[in-house]
Amino acid sequence: MSEDTKKDSYEEHISGLTPAELAKALQTFCDKIEFGDAAQLNSCLHCGLCADTCHYYLASGELEALPAYKLNLVSAVFKNQHTRLGKITPALTGAKALDADMVSRWVDSLYGRCSLCGRCALNCTLGINISRLIRLARTTLASVNLVPPELQSTVNTAVDKGNNMGIPRQEWLDTLQWLDEELQQEVSDSAAHLPIDQSDTRLFYTVNPREPKFFPLSLLATAKIFYAAEESWTFSSDYYDVTNYGLFSGDDEASGVISARLRDSMHKLRANTLVLGECGHGYNANRWEAPEWLAGAYGFEVKSILEIIADYIRQGRIKLDPSRNQKRVTLHDPCNLVRLGGIIEEQRFILKRAVSDFVEMYPNRAQNFCCGGGGGQLSMTRFSKRRIEAGKIKAEQIRATGAKIVVAPCHNCVDQLSELNKEYKLGVEIKTVSEMVAEALVIEH
Amino acid sequence: MTYIEVGGKQLELNDEGFLSDPQQWDKSVAAVLAKAEEGLENLSEEHWAVINFIREHYEQTKLAPMVRSICKTTGLPLRRVYELFPSGPAKGACKLAGLPKPDGCV
Repeated sequence: MSEDTKKDSYEEHISGLTPAELAKALQTFCDKIEFGDAAQLNSCLHCGLCADTCHYYLASGELEALPAYKLNLVSAVFKNQHTRLGKITPALTGAKALDADMVSRWVDSLYGRCSLCGRCALNCTLGINISRLIRLARTTLASVNLVPPELQSTVNTAVDKGNNMGIPRQEWLDTLQWLDEELQQEVSDSAAHLPIDQSDTRLFYTVNPREPKFFPLSLLATAKIFYAAEESWTFSSDYYDVTNYGLFSGDDEASGVISARLRDSMHKLRANTLVLGECGHGYNANRWEAPEWLAGAYGFEVKSILEIIADYIRQGRIKLDPSRNQKRVTLHDPCNLVRLGGIIEEQRFILKRAVSDFVEMYPNRAQNFCCGGGGGQLSMTRFSKRRIEAGKIKAEQIRATGAKIVVAPCHNCVDQLSELNKEYKLGVEIKTVSEMVAEALVIEH
Repeated sequence: MTYIEVGGKQLELNDEGFLSDPQQWDKSVAAVLAKAEEGLENLSEEHWAVINFIREHYEQTKLAPMVRSICKTTGLPLRRVYELFPSGPAKGACKLAGLPKPDGCV
């Protein structure tokens, strides 16, 4: 066996799966299937219309990337477990047992060739929610510790350290203090300040840990917008991480642990509204999925920062001068925020007032292509070459606009787009909505 | 998996160009990675100040430092750090300092 094909411990785990592990995985699979899932797992007509929707399939042309093929991997195990013909004559129905070979194919296609972007559901004549069923398979694998280790590592860090980059509390506080100084210089006001742990504010603002860790300009931009709007808001010193990689790994238990923390921070701080920073999956996870994981409604309002900024503009709380952003700007629609999250027009409303030359890329809104970085792909180094290859469609969408700046209201997308920028030589800058707004702000008080 | 040659030795990189074994790092590795991964022909004093600090921090804590610490220690403005390492602090500077890829959205 050559160096390049040697198995790592993860692959060895798969080939050496014990009957007890497989039984546990199957039990999880059966427990998690809801009535609607069962109907959908029996519905695919193999029409193939989903082929045109998937960036992985379009980029590679490989059968293992075709959404119907991926769905069929899950359906095969379902039929083997739950249909009479599938149990008696599996060969005639395409039913297959969940064995080490099937697990290996699940990992390759369902973790390795899918970003859970949900675009395949757009073309499905039967409306099958394919990405939901793929996540169900991921949940099955997660129950026997078969999440690819690089993705599991980010989930573990979030669960163990309180944020997904393992930032120590003091480092977070030191960074906020440092940003205080930057904000004061930026707005020429020594009283400007980033509030921490203030009770009874209107907003509690959450961020992606990569902002304080490596890219704080987006944090500074949002703080500047809050300053201009004279907002009542706060950060939290302990739990402030908007991300939830349990959504990607499929681990519902970890997802629940992580999402409970923002709920608990809200209760502690007694803020009115939980405001989710520019993070696609963080929006989907905390706005829509978390009440499921927590088995109960929040009892408080949840909003995207984009809704907050759009309101400031509508209410005249901030004033923008679009001539301060002269370069051509296009907008990337993060799948989890837009197609799966429902925040579609706010970012457009904002950008049309913050920049002087805004152009759409095509297709856009709910039809937009995934950048390729979602679904945990950014973490899974073992599949990173496919991620870059699958991003070619996004790169060509961007190039066709002639834009010099690509705005992405999602830090996961920002990172993938930055890699695509380098790989496909796009020559663009990648920015968040807040950064564009902060640049255009006219501060009068 | 790819390999780089440094001082006659073959070193393994993962699929994203990070050194597979952080212990194999030394300054000559940084120079080779700079060219192969960041397209930097020469590393300036400013580059080395950042790389050396990141490496020392990692040796002590097994973590990448916050960008605030990088700026405070080296005296470089934040925007200068981004100019020095086009792929940013994680996929640029930390990679050249031989660190493993950090967790999170990077």
